[in-house]
Amino acid sequence: MQNLKTDVLVIGAGPAGSMTAKWAAMSGAKTVMIEKRQEIGSPVRCGEGMSKAWLPDVGIKPSSRWINVEVEGARIFSPAEKVLEINEKHAGNEVGYVVERDAFDKQLAIDAANAGVEVMLKTSAISLLRDDGHIVGVTAKQFGQTFEIRAPITIGADGFESQVGRWAGLPTNLALRDMDSCIQYRMTNVDSDTRYCDFYLGKVAPGGYVWIFPKGDGLANVGIGVQVSKLRNPADVKMYLDKWIAEHPAYSKGKKIDMVGGGVSISAPMKETVTNGFMLVGDAARMIDPLTGGGIANGCIAGKIAGEVAAKAVTANDTSKQFLQAYEKGWRAKIEDKLYRNWLAKEKLCTLPDETFDKIIDALQGVKLEKLTVLNILKAVHDKYPEVTKEFEAFL
Amino acid sequence: MPSKKTLHIESSGQICIYCGACVGICPLNCIYLDETRITFDEKVCTRCEICVRACPVGAIEIG
Ligand SMILES: Cc1cc2nc3c(=O)[nH]c(=O)nc-3n(C[C@H](O)[C@H](O)[C@H](O)COP(=O)(O)OP(=O)(O)OC[C@H]3O[C@@H](n4cnc5c(N)ncnc54)[C@H](O)[C@@H]3O)c2cc1C
Ligand code: SF4
Ligand code: SF4
Repeated sequence: MQNLKTDVLVIGAGPAGSMTAKWAAMSGAKTVMIEKRQEIGSPVRCGEGMSKAWLPDVGIKPSSRWINVEVEGARIFSPAEKVLEINEKHAGNEVGYVVERDAFDKQLAIDAANAGVEVMLKTSAISLLRDDGHIVGVTAKQFGQTFEIRAPITIGADGFESQVGRWAGLPTNLALRDMDSCIQYRMTNVDSDTRYCDFYLGKVAPGGYVWIFPKGDGLANVGIGVQVSKLRNPADVKMYLDKWIAEHPAYSKGKKIDMVGGGVSISAPMKETVTNGFMLVGDAARMIDPLTGGGIANGCIAGKIAGEVAAKAVTANDTSKQFLQAYEKGWRAKIEDKLYRNWLAKEKLCTLPDETFDKIIDALQGVKLEKLTVLNILKAVHDKYPEVTKEFEAFL
Repeated sequence: MPSKKTLHIESSGQICIYCGACVGICPLNCIYLDETRITFDEKVCTRCEICVRACPVGAIEIG
């Protein structure tokens, strides 16, 4: 393989990478996207639930090729299994689709390729190239051959397991409390209601939750995330999920047809995501919502901004950290507030005993909330269990 | 400091599901995942056991 030169180099072809590459190419930059896997989107490491309001903004057209089910809302189950139903109106359009993630990822890569991006499969970044304090591309490996790809702008979109960010010197390290370890079965023959995505909270999944995302025709993703700092023994995550399934007949009669795992960051937003010649995007930049664990939307929203800024930097012939602040500011303006608020809420929720979860959900039974904001919830809880809201004074 | 303990990642497919959880949390960035192959840098690893806790299926052992 010969050494290559391009304007913009994107590492990783997940949703964040494909969006970045597509928007860089559409904004006029010669763009290469490398992916270490042989098949984009596979294996799937995802619950496959996502909201939908953001899709038009980033130029993604909903398609039956990747949508399994359009849900009406979410149901949150307290430890005593009292239910809070959140519908589209409450959730401010946050509800959405259960998708076929590999088809979704492939479609975004197709969109990128059609916009002019050069996509290279089975190509891993193995180290960064540096020149005069700037990152100027990578050393890559493909089919056993090592070569260089040089680019004035390099973008790390290498997902949760990101090594590129750390090579660039950005602070991506996670503490044990900043990560949920996850496992999920795709199950058939289960009675899941296709109108809802279901979430079970409390000690069934310390510092996380059990999710059931329906895929239609008796198929559902049944998964769990548990905060790593709350794990005691090896394989505890699998044990928690197996136990939960065993205790729920609607699911224990189901049959498992695949199994995936993975890590999800639940940290506060990163302080810095750019350096000279380099930007970090998506899970690699710890952009997962720390409350919901969802990362597809944020990765795509930030990806569009990264791609546009990358092309501008190339045109302006300025790839300095200062110039790339346009990306840093751009993504923060769109998602940082919510990431931070949800991180605060998550920090609190992880400390609550099961009884408190039960009280909160109980207090919300039958209450007509206009919009489901933290403040509205707390007001409703305050009317019934004032002692519970004492714990949340910081939020009021 | 590298310690005398040994770290073993059972990645022949018997236990590991190639999920990358250990890769993302290793504070020394010394685990590598390539499709269905996991390796780690013996010389860099401090046997801190963080990956052992993060692995959802118990594929990593330190002894
Ligand atoms: C079990 C689980 C369930 C989840 N459920 C949901 C959910 O329901 N909804 C939701 O919104 N989010 C969910 N998430 C999070 C979601 O999967 C991620 O936020 C999303 O995949 C992030 O996209 P990304 O493009 O940043 O990274 P990824 O999709 O991880 O893509 C990164 C890509 O980079 C490649 N790569 C890595 N290193 C290199 C290298 N050195 N060289 C070349 N290529 C490289 C990888 O092979 C990969 O293809 C879940 C996560 C897990 C683990
Ligand atoms: S023991 Fe610690 S340093 Fe070694 S691979 Fe695991 S997490 Fe990394
Ligand atoms: S966390 Fe466990 S299952 Fe996942 S890749 Fe590492 S060793 Fe394999």
